[in-house]
Amino acid sequence: MSQETSGQPGVLFQLEAVTKTYGAIRALDDLSVTVPPGAVGLLGPNGSGKTTLIRTLLGLIPVDSGSGQILGMDFRRRQLDIRREIGFAPEDECLFPRTDGVGFVAYAGELVGMSSKSAMQRAHEVLDYVGLGEARYRKVESYSTGMKQRLKLASTIVHDPKLLILDEPTNGMDPAGREEILHLAHDLAHNKGINLLFSSHLLPDVEAVCDYIVVLGAGKLLTQGYIQQLKQVHNRCFEVRLKSDGSLFAQRLAEFGYSTQCHEDLLLVQIPEGGSQQVIWRTAAEQNLQIRYLRPQRSTLEQVFLNALEHG
Amino acid sequence: MPIFDQGYQHWSGRLSGHAWRWLAVTRHGVRAGLKNRFLRYLILAAWVPAIALVLVLCFWGLIERRSSLVSTLIQFLSFLQPGIITSPRDFRIDIWRLSYSYFLRSELWFSMIVIFLLGPGLISQDLRFNALPLYFSRPLRRIDYFLGKLGVIVAFLAMIMIVPSIVAYILGLAFSLDITIIRDTFGILLASIEYGLIVSLSAGLLMLALSALSRNSRYVALLWAAVWIVGGVVSLVLQSVDSEQRRYAYYSKITPPPVMARSDSPSRQERAAQMRAWRRARERANTEYRLGELEFSKRDWRPLVSYMADLSRIGQQLLATNETWEKLSRFEPDPQSRDRMLANYMGPEFPWYWSAAALIGLFGLSACILNRSVKSLDRLK
Amino acid sequence: MHSQPLSQVPGQTQVTPIVAFHEVSKWYGNVIGLNKLTIRILPGVTALLGPNGAGKSTFLQLATGQLFPSQGTVSVLGQSVWNNPSLNRFIGLCPEQDAFYEWMTGRDFLNTCARLGGMNRAEARDATSRTLQAVGMTRHQHRPIRGYSKGMRQRTKVAQALVHDPDVLFLDEPMAGTDPVARRDLMDIIQRLAGEGKSVVVSSHVLHEVQSLTPNIILLNHGRLLAEGHFRQIRDLIDTHPHHIVLICDHCRNLATRLVAWEDVEGIKVLPGDKGLMVETRSPDAFYARLPQLSLENGLLINEVYSDDDNLEAVFRYLVNK
Repeated sequence: MSQETSGQPGVLFQLEAVTKTYGAIRALDDLSVTVPPGAVGLLGPNGSGKTTLIRTLLGLIPVDSGSGQILGMDFRRRQLDIRREIGFAPEDECLFPRTDGVGFVAYAGELVGMSSKSAMQRAHEVLDYVGLGEARYRKVESYSTGMKQRLKLASTIVHDPKLLILDEPTNGMDPAGREEILHLAHDLAHNKGINLLFSSHLLPDVEAVCDYIVVLGAGKLLTQGYIQQLKQVHNRCFEVRLKSDGSLFAQRLAEFGYSTQCHEDLLLVQIPEGGSQQVIWRTAAEQNLQIRYLRPQRSTLEQVFLNALEHG
Repeated sequence: MPIFDQGYQHWSGRLSGHAWRWLAVTRHGVRAGLKNRFLRYLILAAWVPAIALVLVLCFWGLIERRSSLVSTLIQFLSFLQPGIITSPRDFRIDIWRLSYSYFLRSELWFSMIVIFLLGPGLISQDLRFNALPLYFSRPLRRIDYFLGKLGVIVAFLAMIMIVPSIVAYILGLAFSLDITIIRDTFGILLASIEYGLIVSLSAGLLMLALSALSRNSRYVALLWAAVWIVGGVVSLVLQSVDSEQRRYAYYSKITPPPVMARSDSPSRQERAAQMRAWRRARERANTEYRLGELEFSKRDWRPLVSYMADLSRIGQQLLATNETWEKLSRFEPDPQSRDRMLANYMGPEFPWYWSAAALIGLFGLSACILNRSVKSLDRLK
Repeated sequence: MHSQPLSQVPGQTQVTPIVAFHEVSKWYGNVIGLNKLTIRILPGVTALLGPNGAGKSTFLQLATGQLFPSQGTVSVLGQSVWNNPSLNRFIGLCPEQDAFYEWMTGRDFLNTCARLGGMNRAEARDATSRTLQAVGMTRHQHRPIRGYSKGMRQRTKVAQALVHDPDVLFLDEPMAGTDPVARRDLMDIIQRLAGEGKSVVVSSHVLHEVQSLTPNIILLNHGRLLAEGHFRQIRDLIDTHPHHIVLICDHCRNLATRLVAWEDVEGIKVLPGDKGLMVETRSPDAFYARLPQLSLENGLLINEVYSDDDNLEAVFRYLVNK
């Protein structure tokens, strides 16, 4: 499908000491990061350099200093080649005006270099995949938000890229639409072997789709790692929710040496050495209480993110 | 296996090289343009002068061959000078030149209207619907984008100027069945193709620049109308303010027929003779005035304000129409009718390089505007 | 000093709804916005949910007096809201779109809003400072709004809704496009307002955030009221979808044999890897009541229990998709 790309197979992209300034603002500040292939989430507050990072990877902007490669290609030199291997869905609403759905996707393919016949055939194929049926023959201006996002997604995968970059794909979508996009992104990343770089502010979305995250702040790297590893499991601490009031419950547990703590509508129970959930169940049985939720405490991705911001 | 995966398939085709990327943009734009009903009708209407050109050239070819088909019609051409009918081949170049010149002049008008309908949406719609990130996040440079959009305008103008020129040439050739025509008239064909290209590129780039200035294509259309129509009107006004004074000077030299007192009682014939003499003097004054204007126009800068006048001047220069009229006028027996012919048909004579400079200046300005308005994605937001 | 709205006349023991719609319909030409909607929103934080085109924006516009209903009556704090500018003192609206005077600084803009609300210069100055502090924009107050990021704009919008200290706050997608930091701050602001006794109506698509804000929801679909109340109660009432309860245990198949004997258990699925079970039941109450006793039996210790679809997303999905 394309010329051979050199570079380590285990690296999706890599930056070394990259700096980019716009006037007084340092959008990227001596940033070095190496990211493995797969589904990667890009997180960071506004102004952290996520958009600049994505544009640097696409070879759209020249950097002041530093080097790096993406999919084995140097982004300072092989910009046009990079953009042939990558599909990028920008954040804002963008359309080619006055075309219908198929025309839109086929045109997007032709602009990458596909012949018009391949582009048309492929356009129909990817429109089937994203679930735009008869709507593909209507003008794109008449589409709803969810359909426009799916159309954008279709136009980015029409040339079968090796890496898909999605910038806030679920912005402003209703829950049904969000589920569809996330399902498609997850499917492409995990079942169809396309690498994914998912930039979003909605942490549950990132968690649903990605395995690895990179957190930026003020142009610097704050943390990176596999989500499962970053979310520590506190083995001996459990979250419990009861149907009714649990103060008596908490008292009883404390007698057994199980310290408890109230957090929103949950009870955090610390199990001492040698203890187990058995005691929790016994106490509930004694007092005729219903345990509706019992799970080991895990930090959420939001906590990971906020911690990273604090320490960065 | 019997059940086939309906999900996402990988694609193993080839991606073309970079050089023809602009063609995709042009094709898309041409297809979008052809959807416009008014534009389609306009293109059809623009072929009417082309048909007229073909008819004239074919007719002339038949005259040259003294074909029996046209022998009956020749008597209607008595208004032409006798020399033309007796030895048509001497006048071949001139007739072809003049036909092409009239054709191109009318097509210039049609071009301006075509650009008015087609041009405003080219870049302004992309700005309005935010299509630029879609373009530039693909392997497309800005120059490809501009060339592609320019190609849309060039394609349509070629359809109404260049293609009919070539088709008319071939048909004219076919009807005269004389291979020496090529030697005589090939220069005319080249000149008209050159002119077509100059108009397309200059007007096309100007329209693209205007289109990049606003998100609303109606404002762009207004801007184009301003450049084209208002420029022309302003130039005419400037010219006529000046020339009216000179005309007055010429006319004031003619004495009106004296008012005769009743007592003198001229006869009807005398009075009629006086009126005739007065009318002739007025005509002569008019002709002298127009010739004087032609002289004056050699130094006149005012037509430059009109975009169409600039383009026409270049066309006139390429096709050497003024020389042709001078040559034809020499066949007039009578100096007065010769002067009258020159006065009626010659175009303005200011130096063509002034127009060329104006056009090049506009070209540069358009390029600057495009560069500033359509920025690449290298910015903070 | 603000005049007392009618609903707070002392002596009234019944809780007055802050927003009351009575058989309200609104259509635009032939397109229906709301269809015979009757609802009473009680004080507190309420979430307004629904798919695109459900009528949420129409609802908010009717409630703030920007639209007149084609049928029915709308009242806020006991008064009719149409053509009633004096009521606007008690209402704050944070709309979805951005509509700022971009050349003004944040402080100028808020000050202008405060003055437009009827405060004199000193009051406006104090209110502006206070509100800027509350939304965390004190640092950027002297920058023109043109240069603000999305999160800062959202905070400014919430600020202009708060500056005149309203009793009722309507927020339309307040957290759209904001980063998690700004989102957390906005949620804190809303919780604080609720604590101070103000009422907030939040319309949002981001369900997991809404869930952290409040359990009281109003669900609209196709311009009609689909459900209202505490979402867990709503979940209990959804008959067509049995509850999915996940049990993680070591000897799950043994546990399964015991569970299948219970009458209220309709289905048991073994999770991949024999990790645990997913139980379907239509009477969760009875199920949960018997569970602790079961867990105490030998070898049947349940390590984890949680419900797969006890969240707002599941409720939304079940109700909207039918």
